Amino acid sequence: MAVIRVEHIGKKFGSRAVLSDVSFSIAKGEIFGFLGPSGSGKTTLIKLLTAQLNSTSGQVYVFNEPAEKMLQSVQKMRFGILTDNSGLYERLTIEENLQLYRQLYSLPTSSIEKALQLVNLSGERKKKVKLLSKGMRQRLLLALAIIHEPELLFLDEPTSALDPVNAAHIYEGLRCLNSNGTTIFLTTHDMAQAELLCSRIAILFQGQVRVIGTPKELKHQHREHIVCVELINEESYELPINEETADQISLWMKSGLINRIETKEPSLSDIFIKMTGSELL
Amino acid sequence: MNFSLKRARAIFVKDYKEFTRNYGLSIMLFVPIIFAIIFRGAGPNLPGAIGFLLNLSFVLLTCFAQACLFAEEKERSTLRSLMMTPATTLDVLIGKSALVFVLSTIALSISILILGYKPPSLWAFVAATLFSIILYTSLGTICGLYSKTLVDASFSILPVSIIFSGAPWGAVFENDYPILKVLNYMPSSQLVHLLNVPRTGFTVEDLTKPLLFIMSWTVVVTVVSVVLYQRRLKDE
Repeated sequence: MAVIRVEHIGKKFGSRAVLSDVSFSIAKGEIFGFLGPSGSGKTTLIKLLTAQLNSTSGQVYVFNEPAEKMLQSVQKMRFGILTDNSGLYERLTIEENLQLYRQLYSLPTSSIEKALQLVNLSGERKKKVKLLSKGMRQRLLLALAIIHEPELLFLDEPTSALDPVNAAHIYEGLRCLNSNGTTIFLTTHDMAQAELLCSRIAILFQGQVRVIGTPKELKHQHREHIVCVELINEESYELPINEETADQISLWMKSGLINRIETKEPSLSDIFIKMTGSELL
Repeated sequence: MNFSLKRARAIFVKDYKEFTRNYGLSIMLFVPIIFAIIFRGAGPNLPGAIGFLLNLSFVLLTCFAQACLFAEEKERSTLRSLMMTPATTLDVLIGKSALVFVLSTIALSISILILGYKPPSLWAFVAATLFSIILYTSLGTICGLYSKTLVDASFSILPVSIIFSGAPWGAVFENDYPILKVLNYMPSSQLVHLLNVPRTGFTVEDLTKPLLFIMSWTVVVTVVSVVLYQRRLKDE
């Protein structure tokens, strides 16, 4: 069953088109990664999905209902969100911030500890937010987004301010949430983690979805038909995959000359650069 | 439109904690009390003292504090986060207005006691004051929702201060400038009319007419603040 269904949506701000003819669907339990350079429309898309914006054209369905209904309390109980626009109460402590959300979602007290553990902030609960580092703030924002263990989680660059250790901890937590049934829609610049975490990936560029599929499918679609061979004398060759190469490799193997042999598979970064013609910023 | 007392209370408690740790804002609580002490020193029957005290306090305490609470939420993006929780429009507006309503009521009650003002009709005076607090809280909400930062909020209450607090003073010149007669219909002017009703020999109409004006203003401004908040749910 599709949790999110987007059909030919477009969004214009004045005469400037930010998204045009974007279509995709996300099934329950997926971790769907949206990759794209800054300004490609990722955040706009999240705002459309959470009814913070109206689309100029097309249809958006979340939980099989038009996205407009996401403004209703019943629907808000079902999703969590972390974006650039998420904020914290500076004069309150970490625990007091979580306490507010716990009460707004009518959750038991234990939900605070669970959320704190997931973002590795259990020991800091009494700290005032204004004293927190950028990374700790980001982790607290994530804790607020997942405190109610939502069915659907929107994450806009969740690890952008985090060091690799904390980012890995967060991704581990997201995997755990996902294994408990949470569908995750995330935008990220971290290609390596996207590849490890996401069941499917879409690349958004200039308001359009350029490719969509599982990391394996994308790599298969964009693989270069080349085999790399390194000989024991440290000579290396990149050869096209064909009968002639097969014969040559066979000859080298019989002579015991091959040190290493591998096919050349593109990384997500390679695919991204190929699709957008630019490095991810 | 749904309302949850639990959610509104959670927002009220959060605002209370923030307010008590925000010394720049919480000091505004003392504005009406300081004015009351000054006016009492000038004598309990100083003409216009109670009207001036109330109308000024509504702007400097009620409207300003409410505008700051909303503007700060906007500046720090916490309002957008709050809008994404199950808290409804009524939960947020009532939760956030309750603190300013309670604090204004307490500060003004203390100020009136210090001033030693005795109204011609207690029920009419209490009703007019409470409706005015709601009215200026809603005005503060509107100012806060139109502001992007705390600095904006400070400037946004200037027109409110001039138009609402200044109306009774402007109305004094209505004979020279007939257009200023319109200022008599402002809630602040109506409050002054109510406060100027003599303590003996007044009719019910003397009390109900200004009260109805204030109530009408309260309803209209509150509805506008609710509509404006709902429009802000969209990030267009």
